[in-house]
Amino acid sequence: MFKAGSKLFLGLTGFSALNLIAYIVFVERLALGGVALSMVFAAFVGLSAVVLITNEGDSETQPRDAALTRTSMWPLVTVVGVVLLILGLVVAQIYFILGIVVVLAALTEWLVLSWSESASDDVAHNESARHRLLHPIEFPVIATLGLGVIIFSFSRIMLAISKSAGAVVFMVVATLVLLVGTWFALRPALKTALVSGICVIGAVGIVAGGIGGTGAGLRTDLAEAAAEGHYTHRECGEKKSKYFDKKAMKTLSLRSNAAAIIELRDGKLSAVVNGFATPQRSVTAARGNPVTFIFRNFDSAERRMVASLGSAMPAGTAEAGDDEHSDKNETCTQLIPQGAEQGLTITYNKPSIAQDMPLTLTVPGLPGQSIEVVVP
Amino acid sequence: MNHLRSFVRRTAVRLSVSQVKSRQFLQRSVVAVGSLAVLGSCATNAPQDTWQPKGPNAKMIDDLQQPVFAVAGIIGIIVCAAVAYAVWRYKDRGQPIPEQVHGKPALEITLTVIPALILAVVGVFTFRVIFDLARTDDTQLVINVTGQQWWWEYDYPVQNEWGITQPIISSGQLVMPAGVKVLLRETSRDVIHSYWIPALNGKRDAVPGRVHTLRLEADEPGIYAGQCTEFCGLSHANMRMEAVALSPTDFAKWVANQQAAYQTPAADSLAKQGEDVFLNQCVRCHQIDGLKRADGTLAIAAPDENVWSGAAPNLTKLMTRNTFAGAMFDLLRNACRDDVWNAPSAEFGAKYLAGVDESCLNVSDLRAWLRNAPEVKPMYANPALLADTNGKYRGMPNLGLSESDIDKLVAYLLTLK
Repeated sequence: MFKAGSKLFLGLTGFSALNLIAYIVFVERLALGGVALSMVFAAFVGLSAVVLITNEGDSETQPRDAALTRTSMWPLVTVVGVVLLILGLVVAQIYFILGIVVVLAALTEWLVLSWSESASDDVAHNESARHRLLHPIEFPVIATLGLGVIIFSFSRIMLAISKSAGAVVFMVVATLVLLVGTWFALRPALKTALVSGICVIGAVGIVAGGIGGTGAGLRTDLAEAAAEGHYTHRECGEKKSKYFDKKAMKTLSLRSNAAAIIELRDGKLSAVVNGFATPQRSVTAARGNPVTFIFRNFDSAERRMVASLGSAMPAGTAEAGDDEHSDKNETCTQLIPQGAEQGLTITYNKPSIAQDMPLTLTVPGLPGQSIEVVVP
Repeated sequence: MNHLRSFVRRTAVRLSVSQVKSRQFLQRSVVAVGSLAVLGSCATNAPQDTWQPKGPNAKMIDDLQQPVFAVAGIIGIIVCAAVAYAVWRYKDRGQPIPEQVHGKPALEITLTVIPALILAVVGVFTFRVIFDLARTDDTQLVINVTGQQWWWEYDYPVQNEWGITQPIISSGQLVMPAGVKVLLRETSRDVIHSYWIPALNGKRDAVPGRVHTLRLEADEPGIYAGQCTEFCGLSHANMRMEAVALSPTDFAKWVANQQAAYQTPAADSLAKQGEDVFLNQCVRCHQIDGLKRADGTLAIAAPDENVWSGAAPNLTKLMTRNTFAGAMFDLLRNACRDDVWNAPSAEFGAKYLAGVDESCLNVSDLRAWLRNAPEVKPMYANPALLADTNGKYRGMPNLGLSESDIDKLVAYLLTLK
């Protein structure tokens, strides 16, 4: 029952189990390394099971009086993997990870190939044994990688061309795929070479387009957005911020159940709070709880609402610790035109009595207009 | 042959006895369940009875549900009777199978139209009540309500017309004026809770990040019990609340007292030592407005650093409330509690405003709570199991207070009136 191949895999399984146990006992139970070693162990268990179930390709029924070997690419691939691995140690982690993957894959292929070539003196049988063992792994992996390359290449094309051109390209490609697929389905007698050739040409075309798209780079608006980082920081002044105020949202999808609606009308700021018949000059916000204020600008000029956050910085605000662009402890909406509205969600972790200054909602450029936020 | 006859006879007798016993058991079970149901409806001490509305909002619901239940009950009886009759009348007695007839359009249309009409009528009145209960434009007093595991916080925004010139914050008991349209603005700090005082209105979910409104109005001064009705974790069943309705005059007194300045206990008193214990231990989470440290600075609690929900009950004027620990425990002994709960409307305000004194303090529950809170109320307060909450508690942990510290704290808490 246990022959050379199964002994090898069972040995590797035991070795990986020992490694895993040693890691758990001596290093750390829930670390990433433990998970990785668990995966290695599981992989060897799987391979051992396959080898045992297939009885090593029924090799016992075959004569073993010859050892036929052919040229193999796996030593070369292993070397490439090792190079990537060493390169990754110097350059970037991604190469290191890629190197590990390539080395493991190449060694597995090499190992199985060597084993299959020594299974019998029948080359076809040996090849069949190898296929039985590795095809269930190779085909899904290759298909996944191939699809990944196609999808990635297509995404590069779409990111490089304009929005309208992208829509056209998408429709053309989708139509072509549908038509060619239909043709294949209606003509089952088509030659395999023809079908394969068409598929390869299509795939190569998309990959070539992806390479071209990568070379051309992102289209202008995406490149600008990436460079500017629209929402990475907030600039809460009276003037329009080049980055933060770009393409300001003018409406909300969720208006109900806000803590208060802060309205700017005729240069005056007021708070509409459900339950109070008249506009309020102060609103109450529960401590340690996200509260949403909706700011509505009825002023003819573009305005923003600024919330001062007091001397104790609340958690959960985007600008916490962002002293690069502002020395004030505040957050704000974008600058919005007349008739527009935006929401601002804030968590006040400390009460008003813990603040040096009152917590307020204000509009830059409108002195004297302020809504006090009371945090009991 | 005789043996066989004897065996058959004995078996028949056994079967007969067994059938009789089964029938008797069934009959007794039905009688027992029916009796329980009937007796249950006779309960007089049922503070969360949905059929005893004590305010106009709850009455609106009651006025709707009474006729709906009556109509549904009559229809239910008719349907059950018809089914029972059909079962009895047409059960298999060996008679020939009757003629199979399909399609009675007139009957089918009638049986479709009648329920549709009934539902339409019910729907009209239901929608009317729903819209009436959602009104906020006639609000006279606003109270913010925040749920968290496993207690309710109440804060009263500034409303000068009610003498509220600075925010009042309380917990456990909602105090409101009777005969006044109160609007609760509900939210939650952690998970979804649901606020329900059955005698005053229906339920309303308290959802994190959202503000939901609920109208409350009590006809008469008194205490009205409630219960969180959205499963919210380990101590959901212990997340209770009480709405206390006072006459407007008494409510004004309550408001004035809540805003009164903090009084430091007399020097060298046990209560003063309790204040020190509070400053060393409790103030990490519990705020008492006006309490100062030895250096004269205000003691500001930091529940956001210690509690998962970011808040712990504000204990200012604790002894003006009748409950603690999320209204799970009474601050009053049973006799004193009954005295307040059963007081006539005219006397209720004075009895409630008297608060808790030493003679009425439920000292055993309070001491047990201070000694080891998680032991008396299930909470996630084991210091060794806080990895999922970044070391923050959900509920009050065991502070490891000595009996001497507990004596001091109890003496101090009694001064918070």
